[in-house]
Amino acid sequence: MSDILQNHAKRKKRNQLLSAYALVLPAFIVVLLIVAYPIVNSVIRSFTVRGQEGFTLANYVYFFTEPRELANILYTLFVVVVTSVLSTVFAYALALYLRFVKSRVSLLIGRLYLIPRFIPGMVAIYAVIVTIRDTGVISRLALLLFGVEFQPALMFNTAGLLTMNLWFNIPFSAMLISAALAGIPDSMIESARDVGAGRLCVFRTMIVPMSIKDVMVAATFVFMGNVGGFTTPYLIMGSVQPKMLGISLFDQFAKYADMERAAAVSVIMFLICSVSAVVYIYSNLKERAWEKQ
Amino acid sequence: MFTMLNPRKFYRAVGRKKFLDFFVLTVFLLFFYGPLTNLLMLAFAEIYQYPNLIPQKFGFKWWEFVLSQKTMMSAVGQSFMFAIVTTVFSLLICLPAAYGLARYKFPGRRLVMFSFMLSNAFPKIGLYTSIGIMYYKLNLMGTFLGVVLIHMINTMMFMVWIPCGAFSSVHRQQEEAARDVGAGPFLTFCKVTLPMAVPGIAVACIYTFLGSMDEAQGTLLVGVPQYQTMPVMMYTVISDYNVMAAAVYALAMVIPTIVLLVLLRRYVGPEAIASGFQMK
Repeated sequence: MSDILQNHAKRKKRNQLLSAYALVLPAFIVVLLIVAYPIVNSVIRSFTVRGQEGFTLANYVYFFTEPRELANILYTLFVVVVTSVLSTVFAYALALYLRFVKSRVSLLIGRLYLIPRFIPGMVAIYAVIVTIRDTGVISRLALLLFGVEFQPALMFNTAGLLTMNLWFNIPFSAMLISAALAGIPDSMIESARDVGAGRLCVFRTMIVPMSIKDVMVAATFVFMGNVGGFTTPYLIMGSVQPKMLGISLFDQFAKYADMERAAAVSVIMFLICSVSAVVYIYSNLKERAWEKQ
Repeated sequence: MFTMLNPRKFYRAVGRKKFLDFFVLTVFLLFFYGPLTNLLMLAFAEIYQYPNLIPQKFGFKWWEFVLSQKTMMSAVGQSFMFAIVTTVFSLLICLPAAYGLARYKFPGRRLVMFSFMLSNAFPKIGLYTSIGIMYYKLNLMGTFLGVVLIHMINTMMFMVWIPCGAFSSVHRQQEEAARDVGAGPFLTFCKVTLPMAVPGIAVACIYTFLGSMDEAQGTLLVGVPQYQTMPVMMYTVISDYNVMAAAVYALAMVIPTIVLLVLLRRYVGPEAIASGFQMK
């Protein structure tokens, strides 16, 4: 009797497993085909050179020794680091304002700050270009208000690229940080204030430690999201040297039709992203070590 | 009145709190909404010469121009077509997976879950070029299926993760109750589980739809010249058309977003909107 029951339970479990796999499999296969397979392919291709047999590091040697290509890598790092630091600082300030200042204005901003995330990227870029270019709104405003001929010179300039990156990334980071700040109970801050802690003291000893992990997460996301940026630098920087790696990759693919070097650029971008992932994991581990004490 | 324009006097007049509010609001609106408002204004301009800030003449001349351009209008149609097909395809493939992930514990579950995030870990432009090479071999370059698959890369994560969360919040007991009174598994899913998960699925659908409408790089690499969606056309429009025509076109791209956002707010609320991004 118990044998029959056991068999029945076993069969039921097996059926459940089968139906789980059957449900998940189509989507998993699609991901393997259109994401995993191309990535693996790309990594393998980056170690080959057309017309030659076997594996070689030639592509990587080229990108890390050719001064022009090395400048592109360093330029990308510079833009991405500045973007993530600035957007995290501004987003933190915005999130703090939204969380701790209770007014009609902060409620209004709280409603408005997520909408830019939904505006199609191309539209946002074009709107900013029309504003910052030398015949754009800023220049026209300067003439109208102060009677000065002013050319912002932001187009084809790193400052313009950074401006656009901030436009895209501040709302996103502010949203992630806001979620963390929402988890800090009001009562905790009030009790600290009651026993005489100043605003700065509360911020330094309570709010920062409780939100720093999510701030780091936001910064990492911004970092990773911008390493592979293409559309923004393509439209704002054009072909100014040095280039973002996304443009460099597109050139290798579309201009020179060198698939092996294009693959190598994408692996280099992936490696840069991984560095930030390591920082992310490290900051999580540190948190754990602190919790143990 | 004009003494208010002096920041120091203004600060003394309104106090610190109001001044902070005023300062943050001004900077926020100028930076994020200034460019968008300007573009909205230019979409209804006819003449906008330097150095005028406000167009000399308003009108619908450039709307007529855009509406009369065949390539531009066909891009509008294609964008909607790809967005609808991508959404339906993703629904068909991802909903079962979302349900499977929410309801069953099986070996490899975490691996499957995270595989949908894989496309975010590798630089998109590198992924697209690699797919481009694969498409050349498979003769998928410039095909309808090829473009739909490229669009799905960005949307599958939403379509799996958000409905998965929605399905797991439906209590198993509710399903079991339906099964006890004799409903089959499929009927239970259709009559009990699905209706309760609809808000999550709706959010995922809207993300997928908007994500597909917004996709530019991938379609540029594998769809052109056979298929040109609105964002792909924008690359040309920005460089080749005057600012008024481009503004009209940009506004036409934003309209579906606004309509869907209004629907989204009505049906699922702002918390759900934000929750979708936290998984990114």
